[in-house]
Amino acid sequence: MDYDLGEAADNLRQRLRTLMATHLPPGFLGAFTDDPEDLATTQAFCKTLAAEGLLTLSWPTEYGGGGASVWEQTVLREEMWAHHEPRGAQYMGVNWVGPAIMRYGTAAQKEQHLTAISSGDVIWCQGFSEPEAGSDLASMRTRAVRDGDGWVVNGQKIWTSYASMASWCVLATATDPEDGGRGRHTLFLIPTDRAGITVRPIKSMLGPHHLNEVFLDNVRVTQAEVLGEVGGGWQVIRDALAFERVGIARYARCESLLERLRSELGDEFDDLPESLRVRWMRALIDLRVARLLAYRAVSLQNDAGATAAASSARIATTSCDQSVAELLFDVVGPAALDSGPDAHLDGAIDDHWRYAQAATVASGTIEVQRMLVAHAVLGGR
Amino acid sequence: METALPEHITDFGAVAAERFAILGGPQAALLTESDRGLRRRAATALRELGAFDLDVRASTDELLAAAALCRAAGATLLPYPVVEELLAVDGAKLALIDPRAPRVDHGDLGESWRLADLDGTLYTVTMGSAVAGSGGHAKLGPFTVAAQNLQLAGAVPLSDVRLHLILTSWRLLGAVERAVQITSDHVQARTQFGKPLSDFQTVRFRMADTSVALRGLEELAKFTLSRWTAAPSAIGWTDAVMLKIQAADTSFTVMRTCHQLLGALGFCDESDISVIDRHIQPALRSPESAVALTVRLLPNLAAGDVQTLFSTPAAARS
Repeated sequence: MDYDLGEAADNLRQRLRTLMATHLPPGFLGAFTDDPEDLATTQAFCKTLAAEGLLTLSWPTEYGGGGASVWEQTVLREEMWAHHEPRGAQYMGVNWVGPAIMRYGTAAQKEQHLTAISSGDVIWCQGFSEPEAGSDLASMRTRAVRDGDGWVVNGQKIWTSYASMASWCVLATATDPEDGGRGRHTLFLIPTDRAGITVRPIKSMLGPHHLNEVFLDNVRVTQAEVLGEVGGGWQVIRDALAFERVGIARYARCESLLERLRSELGDEFDDLPESLRVRWMRALIDLRVARLLAYRAVSLQNDAGATAAASSARIATTSCDQSVAELLFDVVGPAALDSGPDAHLDGAIDDHWRYAQAATVASGTIEVQRMLVAHAVLGGR
Repeated sequence: METALPEHITDFGAVAAERFAILGGPQAALLTESDRGLRRRAATALRELGAFDLDVRASTDELLAAAALCRAAGATLLPYPVVEELLAVDGAKLALIDPRAPRVDHGDLGESWRLADLDGTLYTVTMGSAVAGSGGHAKLGPFTVAAQNLQLAGAVPLSDVRLHLILTSWRLLGAVERAVQITSDHVQARTQFGKPLSDFQTVRFRMADTSVALRGLEELAKFTLSRWTAAPSAIGWTDAVMLKIQAADTSFTVMRTCHQLLGALGFCDESDISVIDRHIQPALRSPESAVALTVRLLPNLAAGDVQTLFSTPAAARS
């Protein structure tokens, strides 16, 4: 029994930290701020990662990736999230769109898209959620109707991250099973500047650029743009979700923020009320447990219990995310409401609190995760 | 990274659980409350398994075996001070106490004991009789004995104190795993409003959260063992105390859920949940409560001794 991530993973962690210390400005809070320079920083940093062979570290070597071990991929997830995801919107293309194209794409699709993703040249978004299909994704209503050699798509997507800056979209549609497919969902890889697509940003507490509505009005798509088989979209979606199953390493940012705040407080740490310091200690235990559950999920990712293990890890880490957000606020007091470079931790406390509100909603709500764990424990629905 | 226990350790744990189960599990532990001599059978089972020959300080393998043994003892609610026996020196069992209110689970068993507090201070004591209760013994911790006349008697290695906390946590892990299994079986079998309790979403969500808590404790218990070293270390101390805090808090949460989902049945001694909850109370609360243990770690927290992905190694701080 050994919880050491290994020398290669440790070396990677140090390499990434050095790169980020060199290329990210002080107080960097990610791509989704009011400062357009931050978005430019992420795009430049992705180029740096690509040049270092680190952007597609997890990809197989045959597709130009690094062929990294699951533990190196784990370190990459931890370090990127802890440092406010400096890959910005590239995250989605690298983490699941590329791997999905590798598995289900045609030779032409691989040729067209994989190099563009691995070089950091292109931003992708996923058109999955709809106003009437959130957690219940299978009930999506956006329709693709046969028209000659292709289809015409009409409908609406919502909560589409990065859509306002993305040049490509994985679009999930409902197709007619009578069209020859096995199921009623089909995925298309389409450019976001196609006629009939309108993107409308949604203002939110998460910051600019993040959430969007996407309206599809008589959008024409072709057979060549189908990812996988017609009617086989649900399988691709399930696999795509599996690529992301372990989820964001939220515990890493929480540990980073607590460590930074402890350093910033210095001797004043001991002046905090004991009740707050007890909560702080409790949070560090919970974060260690969340990290270990994430490692367990990685270890079991090819086992029958992989889904429940990943859901358990997500429940633990998203719960930590929100309790640490409250703890940081309580430690700093009303000054935590401040944002900007003069605020505590350069405004990271405000930023973390806002993002933490989405932790138990994004990428599968905590209720869905509980349903999956309960199914493993009790069977049934 | 290999997060699974070695196969031979898992096998040993399974053999131990089978041997202990022959004694009768929680209902046998209940009978032992009124016939304390039955604890001899537990001692015999431990001897047959080689528990008294395990040297937990000698090797990682023997420590892992001891942890598996404690987990099996917890799962079968073995009425015997297993952890205290595993840490015995020259036949004197080691118990951790709060010197302000020294209580020893199974303290009436055998004459030779070493009692230490969390700072490693060793005491000689006079063991009293069982803590009184309505049936001649306490309901919570029915084998608890009050120690008296504490006299300073030197110190025990802090590594022994850490081992005690770790192995007690493994025993608690086994006990709450058993409780969750009982509760899982119950909610699937018990029908109300025309359907099994396990069909109600509130029950399913509560069981899901319980499962997450249990798996979290298991991972932390394995992780802490994997890092254990006898060498004095502030990080080793925080590791052990963090595990005991988590074991206690998880046990409270899990047992609360088990009681709630079993309803009135859970209070009855004919239900194993009641017996498990009563018998694990000394391990949960001794030598100090989870909150008191957390307060103990605050100086370590301030000093950066709680290792995270971003903590500075001690060597780099000095």
